[in-house]
Amino acid sequence: MLTATNLSKNYQGHKVLKGVSLSLKPGEITTVLGPSGSGKTTLLKLLSLLEAADAGSLMVDEKIYNFPWDDRGGAYPLVGPWPKLTVVFQQLFLWPHLTLRENILLPVLARGATEASVKKDLAELVDIMEMGEFLDRYPNQVSGGQKQRAALARAILLKPQYLLLDEITSALDVIQVAKIVELLPLLAKRGIGMVLVTHLLNFARKTADNVLYMENGAVVEEGARSILAKPKSKQLRAFLQAADKAS
Amino acid sequence: MFLTAAQILWEYREAFLKGLAVTLEMSAIIWSVGIVLGFTLGWLGATYRDSVGQVVRWTSFVLGGVPILVFLFWLHYPAQAMFNLVIDPFYTATFTFTVINVVAIAELVRGALMDFPQQYLTAAKVCGVPARQTFLRIQLPLLLRGVIPALLMLQIVMLHTTLFASLISVEEIFRIAQRINALIYKPVEIYTALGVFFLAVSLPVNGFALWFKARYTRDTSEN
Repeated sequence: MLTATNLSKNYQGHKVLKGVSLSLKPGEITTVLGPSGSGKTTLLKLLSLLEAADAGSLMVDEKIYNFPWDDRGGAYPLVGPWPKLTVVFQQLFLWPHLTLRENILLPVLARGATEASVKKDLAELVDIMEMGEFLDRYPNQVSGGQKQRAALARAILLKPQYLLLDEITSALDVIQVAKIVELLPLLAKRGIGMVLVTHLLNFARKTADNVLYMENGAVVEEGARSILAKPKSKQLRAFLQAADKAS
Repeated sequence: MFLTAAQILWEYREAFLKGLAVTLEMSAIIWSVGIVLGFTLGWLGATYRDSVGQVVRWTSFVLGGVPILVFLFWLHYPAQAMFNLVIDPFYTATFTFTVINVVAIAELVRGALMDFPQQYLTAAKVCGVPARQTFLRIQLPLLLRGVIPALLMLQIVMLHTTLFASLISVEEIFRIAQRINALIYKPVEIYTALGVFFLAVSLPVNGFALWFKARYTRDTSEN
């Protein structure tokens, strides 16, 4: 279980996250919604332990991280829960000198697996994500959607328990979005817990187990996906109206 | 003319070979010490930005602003007079050029490390890639692709810089050429032969730099 309690973060005196709590079970999908600048990406950075929160705590299964980080426990973050918990960023960060195949394989091979031992899993992923045609190309030789699938495949091959996804469909066309959206419930069925920062309202309405709506660094409303049908707060109602109008 | 140049080279081969040996010995020291210390200092400069990094940056700035010849002459004449020392000009010249090479390489490596896109390391971190593998498989290859062409060009410049050593009486190849020219006055042939020598050394290095750049510095920019 991934549990965040009262996470807060300041940047140069400006509070960007104000006591956000969240819990995620394996196999669950939590969707984080909110306008730009509401603290969604900061939340993912704190959940992934890439940045230390100023206050609060984070529990990844049995391991507890308390904040503010106590330097006596080692420089932050000395040992993170990676890749049990991993992230796919909006910008993807594929290594540019490696082909997509090498990008996907490097982390598992670097952790001691052999190519033979991951061959079957890779083939399955390539098949599901329809990556066969471009697997041996470099990141700058493929489209945004193809890179997206490779970044997801790189994370999935690591068999994480928790997968954090930051606006991974923002640069994709509708067909590519549909492919990714179809894939996520399959991953959830495999027991991967996911936190998804997204603007995909329809996906949240159909598939998310939990929804978190944020504004100005705070959670305004949260609950099951039914809150998107009957929002209690006027902020979420306004957001949904604006989003529906835009789509 | 080329025949005459070849005849001169043959006739004075012993002197030329001695000069060539001095030039190559000096270059070998400048290159090897420069690369080892330069990479180490550059890495330390990027790791300890506020201490070593500042020293590398300012030393590079100061040395870059002083002509090499002035630095060489300063170390050869006033510095030795001030400290009442007499040092073989070969060592003075080698030391001077090595210092310049070390600092230039350190600044090159420090800059490349400082500018290294952190997101690639973050991606490795969240994928659980061990630190050693991150360095060997991700950071080092990307870093070398950026640094090696410039590093090789710098080493060619350092080879050419060794000519300055003749001005403080180091018996390197340029000084030997000057002395032979003073004896037989055949400047066209002698300096053409000298040019051919430098081309012969520089071209393979230059060619390797170009090949390396073409082979390993594939355009990785995003559309």
